[in-house]
Amino acid sequence: MPETPVEEAPPVEDASVPPSAEAASDGYQVRLDVFEGPLDLLLFLIRKKKIDIHDIPIAAITRDYLGYLDRKTEINLDREAEFVFIAALLIYIKSQMLLPRETDLAEHEDPRRVLIDRLVEYEKVKAACSLLREREDVQILQWKRDFIPPLHGESELEPVELSLFDLAESFFRMMKRREADDTRVIRGRDVPIEVKMKELVTLLQERHVLDFLEYFESHASLEEALVSFFCILELVKSRVAVAVQDELFQTIRVWLRKDPHRTAAHE
Amino acid sequence: MNNSLKALIESLIFVSQEPVTLAQLGTIVEGVEAAEIEAAIEDLIREYEAEGRGIHIIRAGGGWLYSTKPAHDREVRRLLQIERKNRLSSAGLETLAAIAYRQPVTQSEVSAIRGVDSTGALKTLLEKKLIKIVGRKKAPGNPLVYRTSDEFLLYLGLDSLDGLPSEAEIAKILEEEKAVEAEP
Repeated sequence: MPETPVEEAPPVEDASVPPSAEAASDGYQVRLDVFEGPLDLLLFLIRKKKIDIHDIPIAAITRDYLGYLDRKTEINLDREAEFVFIAALLIYIKSQMLLPRETDLAEHEDPRRVLIDRLVEYEKVKAACSLLREREDVQILQWKRDFIPPLHGESELEPVELSLFDLAESFFRMMKRREADDTRVIRGRDVPIEVKMKELVTLLQERHVLDFLEYFESHASLEEALVSFFCILELVKSRVAVAVQDELFQTIRVWLRKDPHRTAAHE
Repeated sequence: MNNSLKALIESLIFVSQEPVTLAQLGTIVEGVEAAEIEAAIEDLIREYEAEGRGIHIIRAGGGWLYSTKPAHDREVRRLLQIERKNRLSSAGLETLAAIAYRQPVTQSEVSAIRGVDSTGALKTLLEKKLIKIVGRKKAPGNPLVYRTSDEFLLYLGLDSLDGLPSEAEIAKILEEEKAVEAEP
């Protein structure tokens, strides 16, 4: 990170981490990737300094913020861009505050307003998250009937001969439905089959049973739906997953075989 | 208390995989006041909450449904051969909270609230069926518009969106967090 044109304020509490203080003596090291994003980092810094969110000393916070940015351990352009964007916003706000003005600004014209509003909103979302997490922790222990996958043991169905045509049939049905959607979307993103496969296996592990048609429809693009179709074929072929259709033209349910070796070998 | 009504309602809730609403019960159990149906359900709920029962009736997603009691989670999972149920990641939960409170929203609105690109998190939530696409916004690019789903309510055991933590509860959490930090 190059030197930043931040106002020359006297050093604030110096324990805040200057850019090059990797071996800082305060021993308070937090890695950038523990933060959900730039707003999370900013909130952390604001709280650490016990600053009032409505009256943020921009110069001091910017310095701390850039310090953290400099301590990143790996480069991830997408993620970094988000952090840099907020850094730019901070510097912009400071520059606005330094501009000489004919008349004093009214409170609602505070250049910090835009940042404060975002932080206040984000802070609320974070707080709501902790309450929702408590609920999740209780609910996750209670099994409702629709979450329960079918029990199957020895008599596990032999899937390939049974449902290959059915899979194809469902696939064409899905294509038809997609045709009806005459939106034109230009997309540049390729979805590698390996990535999709991992995603699918994780999803199967979590959900236990997957409704095949619904899964297709959750994809925003046809390309992705196609790739996921191939993934399912591949998983069935390599005997990692089982696909079962109860009746013709019905949806197909997919689940992982309960054989840890095969599953592990596949990952 | 009308015992046959209670038994009937018990069987109706039992067979349904989705929450059974008061309106549904009302159309099936003809000629019975809603208040009487509710009283019967309250009675059932009390009976199941008693010691010695492994399942109970919970209120979620606008109706009533059966679930196992939390104490038996480990054994239930052993029967189903499920290692563990994964909680949402913090990115997932944050995205879900942003949608829950600001719905209907677009991807870019959610990303703006979080300060982080949320495309991936939205996709995961869609696959988990916790959110749904409800249309497109009449704005440049016609972005997709998202809302939380009925599964979302069930997932968190909420009766309706009104059950989400209120402004006051959130303010209280923030107060508490600040109080903790203020201590040396």
